[in-house]
Amino acid sequence: MTDEDARLLRGLRAGIESAYEELLARYQQPVYNVTYRLLGDESDACDVVQEVFLKVFRSVGAFRERSSLKTWIYRIAVNEAHNHRRWFSRHRKREVSIEQEPDRQHTYDLTADSGPSPFDYALDRETRLLIEQALTEVSPVFRTAVVLRDLEDLSYEEIAEILQVSLGTVKSRILRGREALRRALSQRLESGLEAAFI
Amino acid sequence: MSFSCHNVKLYSPEYVDGRLLPGDQYLISSHLSDCEACTAYFEQVSALRGTVRRLAASPIPQDLQTKLRVMASRERASVEATRGSRWCAVWDKWRFRLNALMRPLALPATGGLLSSILLFGTFILTIGTTTRIVSYEVPLNAYKAEANLVPVELGSHTVILTMSFDGTGRMADYAMADPTCKYSADLKAQPSSISMPSMPTVFAVAQPISGDIQIKFLPLAFRQ
Repeated sequence: MTDEDARLLRGLRAGIESAYEELLARYQQPVYNVTYRLLGDESDACDVVQEVFLKVFRSVGAFRERSSLKTWIYRIAVNEAHNHRRWFSRHRKREVSIEQEPDRQHTYDLTADSGPSPFDYALDRETRLLIEQALTEVSPVFRTAVVLRDLEDLSYEEIAEILQVSLGTVKSRILRGREALRRALSQRLESGLEAAFI
Repeated sequence: MSFSCHNVKLYSPEYVDGRLLPGDQYLISSHLSDCEACTAYFEQVSALRGTVRRLAASPIPQDLQTKLRVMASRERASVEATRGSRWCAVWDKWRFRLNALMRPLALPATGGLLSSILLFGTFILTIGTTTRIVSYEVPLNAYKAEANLVPVELGSHTVILTMSFDGTGRMADYAMADPTCKYSADLKAQPSSISMPSMPTVFAVAQPISGDIQIKFLPLAFRQ
């Protein structure tokens, strides 16, 4: 528990407005990233993020400070995402949204010309889509470890604390997650090449 | 000491993430310099890790940010309201836990309650009617020993008994058609002339309806 975390916790427990703003500013984007990568759906991720922060705000008084604030919030996010996925996979099939999918590529149109070429954007977009699709094929247990390590850049020790497992288990899950991702990507690339040559 | 290809792969996460001790790092590197297959594998994993790390973070939607700010404001207000009151804080904590516990059960419980209301609403009329019928009074004088029972002589002709019942199961009237006009009566004149069977079991489960019942008595001839 760093001094910064302790100060933030005191502010949250005292109901100081700036503490709440600081917490959101620091953690709303990482929590959204993790839940989005674990669930693969934007609206589900939005629901889970709200649940996560509701729990954080209401449980902050009971937080016993045995771990850092960061790993505590990540742990809530990972647990909520898994609960959400388990619950809704039983009770809801994939729904088709009537809202138009936001075109993330559109943001590239607003950037300056000094950046990469349109070819680079297309290549980057294709790569991103391939990896995102391959990630969804990885088992949630291993996907969580890969997301926390490679996307959130958390240390092995932090991941062990978040997932409540040993360091050896974290290493094993990262190894198996990356291996599963590599296999899924290889299969997708091979099938794509076959389709291109047919 | 040297590593097999299988063992080397087990060290790949730490090698790629730069977490190996110098001694292990040296052993892995020396294996990789001699093994093309492992080198190719490590290059693939390393390249994959680099590509995943470069994945652009999805920007958090604007409306979600607004919702989070509103939520933070509400929660802060509740903290201010309960500040200094330990009991309020404990009550809030348990209420929150109970709410989180009950939330998954809310939908099935509501469905069950509505189904029960619908079911009881459907059968409540039947239950009320049955109760009323059970308390139906069978005329006691119909079974009295001193009842003035008049036997009907069939002779060689047919006698038809017609009984009329109202909606509550009471016999409102009866008539006996006798071709020889030997006997005719109505219920009001001679209420004890008809013997009513007692059927409490039937009345408890059956729904009475109004209508007529006609019983035909046929004479039987025996050859001697």
